Amino acid sequence: MNTGDSKQRKLLWGSVAVVALVVIATLIDKGSIGLQLILSGLTVGSIYALVAMGFSIIYSSTRVINFAQGGFSMLGGMLMYSLAVSGKLPMWLAFILAVLIVTALGAGFERVVIRPMKDHSVITVIIVTIGLSIFMTAVAKWIWGTDPVKIASFSGDKPLRLFGASLVPQSLWVFGLTLVAVALVFLFFNRTLLGKGMRAAADNPDAASLVGVSSSTSSLVAWTLAAGLGAAAGVVIAPINFAQYSAGTALGLKGFSAAVLGGLGSAPGAVVGGLVLGVLETITAGYLPSGYKDAVAFVILILVLLVRPQGLLGRPEEVKV
Amino acid sequence: MLLKKHGWKLPMILLCTLVAVSLSVVGCGKQTVDASKSVYKIGAVLSLSGPAAPLGLPEQNALLMLQDQLNASTGVNGHKVQFLIEDDESNPAKAAAAIAKLINQEGVAAMIGSSSTGATLAMVPVAMSSQVTLVCCAAGTAITKPPKKYVFRTPPTDSMAIDKVLQYLTGTLKVQKIAILHDANAFGTGGADELAAKAPAKGITVVANESYGSTDTDMTAQLTKIQQTPAQALVVWGTNPGPASIAKNMQQLGMKIPFVGSHGIANKTFITLAGTAANGVVFPAGKMLIPSSIPAGSAWRNAVDKFTADYKAKYGKDADTFAGHGWDAGLIITTAMKTAGTDKALIQSTIQKTKGLAGIDGIFNYSATDHDGLNTSDLMMIKIVNGAWTEAK
Amino acid sequence: MVVGAFILLIPLWAKFIPGDVLHMDIVNLMVLTGVYACAVVGLNLLVGYAGQISLGHAAFFGIGAYTTAILCTHMHWFPTWLGVIAGAVLAGAVGWLVGKPVLRLKGNYLAMATLGLGEIAFILFQQVKGLTGGTVGILDIPPLSIFGLKFDTDLKFFFLIWVVILVLLLVSINLIKSRVGRGLRALHSSEVAADAMGVATGRYKAQVFVLSAAFAGLGGAMFAHFQKYINPESFTLALSILFITMVVVGGMGNIWGGLVGVVILTFLPSVIQALPQWIPGLPHGLSNFSNYELVLYGALLILFMMFMPKGVAFGLSRAADYTEVRARHFRDRQKARKMEGR
Repeated sequence: MNTGDSKQRKLLWGSVAVVALVVIATLIDKGSIGLQLILSGLTVGSIYALVAMGFSIIYSSTRVINFAQGGFSMLGGMLMYSLAVSGKLPMWLAFILAVLIVTALGAGFERVVIRPMKDHSVITVIIVTIGLSIFMTAVAKWIWGTDPVKIASFSGDKPLRLFGASLVPQSLWVFGLTLVAVALVFLFFNRTLLGKGMRAAADNPDAASLVGVSSSTSSLVAWTLAAGLGAAAGVVIAPINFAQYSAGTALGLKGFSAAVLGGLGSAPGAVVGGLVLGVLETITAGYLPSGYKDAVAFVILILVLLVRPQGLLGRPEEVKV
Repeated sequence: MLLKKHGWKLPMILLCTLVAVSLSVVGCGKQTVDASKSVYKIGAVLSLSGPAAPLGLPEQNALLMLQDQLNASTGVNGHKVQFLIEDDESNPAKAAAAIAKLINQEGVAAMIGSSSTGATLAMVPVAMSSQVTLVCCAAGTAITKPPKKYVFRTPPTDSMAIDKVLQYLTGTLKVQKIAILHDANAFGTGGADELAAKAPAKGITVVANESYGSTDTDMTAQLTKIQQTPAQALVVWGTNPGPASIAKNMQQLGMKIPFVGSHGIANKTFITLAGTAANGVVFPAGKMLIPSSIPAGSAWRNAVDKFTADYKAKYGKDADTFAGHGWDAGLIITTAMKTAGTDKALIQSTIQKTKGLAGIDGIFNYSATDHDGLNTSDLMMIKIVNGAWTEAK
Repeated sequence: MVVGAFILLIPLWAKFIPGDVLHMDIVNLMVLTGVYACAVVGLNLLVGYAGQISLGHAAFFGIGAYTTAILCTHMHWFPTWLGVIAGAVLAGAVGWLVGKPVLRLKGNYLAMATLGLGEIAFILFQQVKGLTGGTVGILDIPPLSIFGLKFDTDLKFFFLIWVVILVLLLVSINLIKSRVGRGLRALHSSEVAADAMGVATGRYKAQVFVLSAAFAGLGGAMFAHFQKYINPESFTLALSILFITMVVVGGMGNIWGGLVGVVILTFLPSVIQALPQWIPGLPHGLSNFSNYELVLYGALLILFMMFMPKGVAFGLSRAADYTEVRARHFRDRQKARKMEGR
């Protein structure tokens, strides 16, 4: 333990305190309007959290930043539309099929493109995932056209009232999925051999393969999980957000900032990052001209990178010489 | 090894070969289908991909339909017509490059485009310096204010839509205080600014002016701010899907004030997306959306009826106002070419003298000072009732 | 050096090859290529030689464009050539300001930070309406004139921009051959080692960053005077990604790599669009076409990176090497067989 560590710890608790203060101040200042802002912020935030988890999963196992993560969510939403609305399948069946299809795509991409490139430089892999993102957006446009599509909310649209603020029922589905996902992912990476091995494989591939988890398996499982989670997120979000061929990019950017804020490589971190980002953004829109709302995500991103790159809940990375 | 032997020469030679090859591939130009010299070529730069694609694609459909109909009958004074359509990908730089290519390489007599304001503004300097008439399908005020010799437009302008909205606010709703919520893009911001500037003269105070990002999906923050003001109506200025999200948010928050939208939601998509929240929403639009609002038997009504029937038969979907903009642009140019042929200067002056031409968007009257052609009476206010459009009285 | 100069002149001639008519639209496209090339040459120095990543260079391009546009439209007497210089200088200054803290980060983290900075710049372009005209942008930017010479046609601008690029390339070559250049290459392979050997890594990184920002600003300012209209949509993340892709596809660490990349990626959409004429039977449907073009673009990006990760320049020479080796191998086996066959 040296002074660097305790400075970092002070920073961590300091930022937690700041966020808490902002939230409390808003509640006091604006009363139930403030509560509305926070509830909306949590809804938007959990959407970010789901996408952020996908980033974290891939990064923690392979040190790759997958720019196409938002695209998995977009495809999940669009497939759900095709299956449930056009194809008239029952919602639960459409959900499962949509997630399975995207998961297969994610796994396929990993095997065919990512795996052969494992020794290439960071920037090459970044470009490849960007290429995938462009490809997915273009194919989506080819298949579904440019219009946004509507999927019925899972349990209706009647708003729920809470102390003068309101919430749509679909938000509860989003919260629910977020909780389930973070619990499952956390258990997987911290309590199963495969999961722990995958985290190890990113830092020390040789040791990990001794335990039976090669970096090849690690990469495949990570991409599969991230694609599946991304698709599930996309399906659950679609009734609120309207699925659209271009939805991947915006979601990806915000989800990414959330992942960095929470700590790339930490699933609970992704959730914390997403929620904090969503709330801060919405509160900003409540006070400042709303055009600056988007800047919040990026300012936070840069501050985090400069001051505490491992994010709120991540562990500092070691630079290999 | 080769690299070591020749150093940097090899990549350089490769670069030059690459450049030469791509130049010859691109430079060979399009082989025109009809080798006859008498085909009238009209260029069109539309947004067929990117954010403005929902505008450009129907415009392209309409132009192709016009081309087929003209060529199946007498054409333009016996000459066949060909619309050479390029995609600007909703990107101003590509639009400028495309118009340069169509004018210089294809030698088109007149130009159409683009679908959105930004791309059109990038094309204007090229049209002006090459002295080729450009009829655009975009509604941004800056395009024809001040009027530029070679630039005309077909859609009703944003200004006209704003005037119509103000008419409705003062005449029908009779409100004195409004809030504005607009998309942060050029369309939304331009509309909001103009509305805010014109409102006081009509006795309306703007008590809130908020914006949202084009890709945002939750506007409850802005709406809660607006709820705290004494606004009696909310004017939403943006294109899908933002306004649909706003309608749903308003329903969620239990906001009862009237939602007055822009012509950006003059399409069925808004109703599909907003669901039950769309009911009660009012917006300005071209009368073609409810043909019964146009006097029966008039040239305009006949043109609209034929157009909507043909479009539905050919493409299987309902024609929207964007298809109308594209058709009108083609119609105006081909009508002018009946007397002007391919003489570029004559095309410009003939179009400028157009009077009483019944298009789909309305009756066009151009002059030296008016390159917009339409006026507020070509628009109507539409109200959504039970998921369908009705005239808002 | 003579050989180098000779080669440098070839690009100018190559433009005249197809037919006897100079195709103006190609000239137009080449000007756009040139303008982007300014940014890409600078970015190549940063990414290819110094090994740093920037996913936000469109911001510098935009700063250059807005600077000259604002100066020349708000003050009509302001000389346009000075506006261009101001654009480059301001972009470089901003590069210096943000570079100092940000360059401490490495790899993925640097990529993320520069991405964030680029997005913030874009938001500022949109929001600071009084200065930038907001989302509508700035119209009627005057054409470039240098000491009375007006560059108002595509052709004149074309010659100007490629001369500028040659100058930028010369500056780059000089930099690479200098001590700074060697220090950069050292820090590319191992920053820690370079540090240990006494290379002033921090200062060199900052210098290259500022230089690449200034080059991008120069390109952006030229762009503003060429298109005569700018709005924030021209300076999005998509453009930053395009720049990086051009560097990587062209060939990092190779001085011509940037140019190769710019040419390939600017002409690629046009070549794809021209394909149906050359390959009969390819789907002709106009309405589908522009979609399928983007699909192909994304696929090509992925394929390029899989099979030619060091860029086209290296990939092609590797292919050439490979054929040479196989040819030699073949000849040797022939000789061996002849000797045995006796």
